[in-house]
Order: sequence, then C-alpha cells, then structure tokens
Amino acid sequence: MNSIIDVIMKRRSIRNYQQEDIPKDLLLELVKAATWAPSGSNIQPWYFIIVNDKKVLNKIISFSPGLLGNPPNVIVICSDKKKAFKKGGKLGRDELSLMDISMAAENLMLLATEKGLGTCAVKSFNGKTIQKILELPDYVSPDLIISIGYPMKEAKPPKRRIVEEVSFENKWGGII
Amino acid sequence: MNEQDIIKVFSYIATSARGCIDEPKIYGPFRLVEIMSKLFWLLKSNNLIANDKLSRIIDKIDEKKYVCVKDEKKFIGLLDEVIDDLFELVD
Repeated sequence: MNSIIDVIMKRRSIRNYQQEDIPKDLLLELVKAATWAPSGSNIQPWYFIIVNDKKVLNKIISFSPGLLGNPPNVIVICSDKKKAFKKGGKLGRDELSLMDISMAAENLMLLATEKGLGTCAVKSFNGKTIQKILELPDYVSPDLIISIGYPMKEAKPPKRRIVEEVSFENKWGGII
Repeated sequence: MNEQDIIKVFSYIATSARGCIDEPKIYGPFRLVEIMSKLFWLLKSNNLIANDKLSRIIDKIDEKKYVCVKDEKKFIGLLDEVIDDLFELVD
C-alpha cells in the first residue's frame, strides 16, 4: 500500500486519456472516498453524478472547454444549495458548500491515483447548460467536473512553490 | 462531417467565449489554439485536409499547449512559432 504522501505527490492533472471505460463499481468506490471528506456543520451538501453514457458525456464536453483529452468518464460534483442554506445560512451556501465539494474532490482524486487512474478537476464549463443536460433541480449547482480514465502517458510534475516560501512562523513574514 | 459536428464545435466556441469573460486571461489564447486543433482533426478525420506541414504544426500545438498554465513565456514562444510556421504555408 502506498503511503498517503506518495499518493499525494503522484497525483497529476491528466488531459489525455485511454478510451477504456472505468467499471461502475470502481467509480462508486471513488464516490465513497469523496463522501468521507470533512464537511462544514456536517451538511454534506454534495451529490455525485457519474456520467458513463457517451451521448451525455459528449454533450457535457461540448459545453465544457476545460474538459480535455477525451475522458471515458466524468463525475460531476454538485452541491445542494437549498440544503446548504437551510443548515449553514449564507456562509454554508456560498462558501462552505464549495469548500466541502473541493475536499471531497481531492479524496476522490487521491483514491483514483492510488488505483492507477488519472483525473483532472475542471471548473471551465457552462453551469446552466450542464444543469440542463443532467436535469438537475435549480437548487443543485454543478460545481466541479472530475474527468476520470487511464492516462495515455505519465504527466510530469509542474513546479511547486517550496515550503519555505509559503509558510511563516507565528506571524506574516515570520521566518521558519 | 455532419451538422452535429459543426454544432458541437460552435458550442465549444460559444461556451469558451462566455467563459473567457470571467476566467484567467491566459485561457483565451489557449482556447483559440485548442479550437485550431479541434477543427484540424475534424477536417482530417473526414479526409478534407491532407497537408503534412500543417499536420506537424497541429502536432506541435497538441504537444506543447498545456505549458500555458505552467510557463506563460514558453506558451507565448509556442504561439510565435506557430505563426511563423503558418506564414510559410500561406500563399
């Protein structure tokens, strides 16, 4: 079993996929990992739409310029804004729900990495159109699309800002 | 090539145009070269284009386009190169 740091450092944003479909059981395992993410006030506003119908997928791709590399599957992570507002108020609806689905997405992508799958989190899509394609109620917002598939090739890691540059001790500018 | 293929390309262009209003500035140039690639492959798969030099330009775009989010200078260099390459092909 890989250690968590190995998986974290192995994950890449993949934009070139093999066309092999991912079994539904495996996609559901990824969703399960996502549902174990932290959630503000434990609202868990998330819904996960697994897309494996090619007609639906092609429609989504047509209105999602950020969805690149012909992924065989995507999972659209949505948040229930009504539920988030009811329990979390404005903060829950406008901020916590997005943080929750982001943390859920990372869980999903890390497990996918461990399973040898590639993923990419995509925000460049037309939300209103995706809502229509997936027949979402108006209070359910498609917040993030995760493309999933076996990578065509290994992606090189992009440069990362080093720890010493991004961390301070006790106060802004405090040298570590 | 059928009407649906064109409608999908138009959908991509219109969605990109709308997205570019709010998205990072560098996404605009990226979408434009992405459209070049999409159109090329659509025409090629329908045997409507067979120019080896153009094919090499598109291969170059497809290979290097993602540098736009990692190294903007390199991406600008790619665009300059593509323009020079295309200039050689224009009658």
